[in-house]
Amino acid sequence: MNDEHKNEKHGVESPSWFERNVNTIIIGLIVACVLTVLAQLVFPMFDEHHPPHFPQYENMIGFQAIFGFAAFVIVVFLGKGLRLIIKRKEDYYDA
Amino acid sequence: MPDFMHHLPPGLIMVVGAILLAWVGKRLAAAGALALSVISLVVFCLTPQGTYGQIRLFENTLTMVRIDHLSFIFGLVFHLAAIMASIYALHVKDTKQHIAAMMYAGGAIAACCAGDMITLFVFWELTALSSVVLIWASNTERSYRAGMRYLIIQVGSGVLLLSGAIIRYQETGSIAFEHFLGLKPGDTASFFDFGLGAQLILAAFAIKCAFPLLHNWLQDSYPKATVTGTVFLSAFTTKLAIYSLARGFHGMEELIWIGCAMTLFPIVFAVIENDLRKVLAYSLNNQLGFMVVGIGIGSELALNGTAAHAFCHIIYKALLFMSMGAVLKQAGTCKANELGGLHKSMPWTTLFCTIGAGAISGFPLLSGFISKSMIISAAAEEHMLPVWIVLLIASAGVMEHSGIKIPFFAFFAHDSGKRPKEAPWNMLVAMGMAAALCVGLGIAYPLLYKILPYEFHEGHEYVPYTMAHVVMQLQLLLFAALAFVVLMKSKVYPAEMPSENLDTDWTYRRLLPLMIGGFGSFVGWFDSSLRKFFVENLASVRKRAGKFFGEAGILGRPWETGAMAVWAAILLGICLLVYYF
Repeated sequence: MNDEHKNEKHGVESPSWFERNVNTIIIGLIVACVLTVLAQLVFPMFDEHHPPHFPQYENMIGFQAIFGFAAFVIVVFLGKGLRLIIKRKEDYYDA
Repeated sequence: MPDFMHHLPPGLIMVVGAILLAWVGKRLAAAGALALSVISLVVFCLTPQGTYGQIRLFENTLTMVRIDHLSFIFGLVFHLAAIMASIYALHVKDTKQHIAAMMYAGGAIAACCAGDMITLFVFWELTALSSVVLIWASNTERSYRAGMRYLIIQVGSGVLLLSGAIIRYQETGSIAFEHFLGLKPGDTASFFDFGLGAQLILAAFAIKCAFPLLHNWLQDSYPKATVTGTVFLSAFTTKLAIYSLARGFHGMEELIWIGCAMTLFPIVFAVIENDLRKVLAYSLNNQLGFMVVGIGIGSELALNGTAAHAFCHIIYKALLFMSMGAVLKQAGTCKANELGGLHKSMPWTTLFCTIGAGAISGFPLLSGFISKSMIISAAAEEHMLPVWIVLLIASAGVMEHSGIKIPFFAFFAHDSGKRPKEAPWNMLVAMGMAAALCVGLGIAYPLLYKILPYEFHEGHEYVPYTMAHVVMQLQLLLFAALAFVVLMKSKVYPAEMPSENLDTDWTYRRLLPLMIGGFGSFVGWFDSSLRKFFVENLASVRKRAGKFFGEAGILGRPWETGAMAVWAAILLGICLLVYYF
């Protein structure tokens, strides 16, 4: 594993905090995600001063969670599709 | 402060001072630029709101200075951006860049405080002419060509502005720069309600504001400017256009949909772009979309949201461009496929970039949250469900390209083995200031809300940190981040690879030359065939003529005298007959 971080100039380098804790960070992210959905169940989201504008969506548990996840995936797949059409070599305009 | 100072356009100190920088020498020019920005800020803040510098010109009054709630907030943030960018550029020894940057920043500040169309036009063009130097200063063939394209488009926008202003003067007899239909916040209108003059002016604003299909000058030129030049560029031109739209066209309903399109299409391009400064240029375009939506909605809350978002955006966008500039300067590249693992040797730049990325994504406690949510709430208050949905998608998109892609591929991702040194101290100070402002604005948001263009009515104050806002926004962002993890782990996320992705600039960089080349060869073909036709026909005409008039031809050969006399007598006889009758 450490071989990957060997750098000719710097000799053997120990992995950084980030590299050692990638999995912890991912677990932390999942926990945080779950907590945001739980928060919607536990705390009152709206009151008479700040009512929901679109109750059918805003009162749905985890609406923005699903929305954020789905929008992200769709945007990435649209990007992949777009790449098929518009990708050219780096020196396209220089040629 | 002497009274006459009020009558000079704000920013003029920077424009005039810039010329003097040519004589102070390379070492002092950078410090001089910073001093000019600070002095200009002090003078600007000491000028009470009002109109100054009125000059009678023929039948009209020019109002060179108008500082009101709207121009003040833009003037203030322009000054802050100029100061931060000047600190960031302190190490630059190229005097012409400092001169250009000061003229550009000063011109933008003066333009946003212009009270009439003529003053606006003059400073509008000054920003175009001065800013192109920051692109050319890269001294590459590519930057030279991109600069040329940039200049043609920017000056073209100025020409439209002046034409519009002249036609509007013919239509209304006014050169004042106010709302072109005299609408109040909350009123709405359609594009077709405006006169031809205002429509041309809108076209000028649309170009500078990078409306869809008119946008590509931005992604073409900004990534090719110098490391420090891009930071200046990111702050002024497009936000001057946002200010001008907010002043002249708020409540124009078409802007809502134009803004929605602007928030959406750049995020898809940003996913597959390899040059991280170009990713930021697409991201800038997407952020402008939020502001254009706010201007289109046109309510007080929406316009406040637009002004607040422009303020916060200028700072975090400058921060992101600064961090990518630092990477470009230290690592020698800004291409995602050549970067990764830089957090090991550039920890401070990594930290500041991450704060900027958090701010643009709209994480609570950072500046983007307290401004973007205002525009989204304004759409919700008007019960515009489709707009609300689009802005949510766009928010997830921002998280993708600016929140994750920029910091992740530059500083983390796979280790590129590059170990560039940390950025120079002045760059770190500038980034630190911008990062502090991102956090400060996110927490001490009432300070920003106090200087927004419209006062919130009592009982209707905007509260960004409600339970619903915070929880919903965190859900959106964290689940978007989770989607990134899933896509990376499943290797579905598109790999970074060197490429040139086509955009609308293809039409004038490839299609137009092709069409002109094609037209040229058509004209050439037409011309040569026409000549050939005439030459061939001329030869046959010559041949026929030779038959009659040649030496052996009936009309060309020598005749006998008797025959000539007979013919002459016949001719005379005919004449006599004709005369007789």
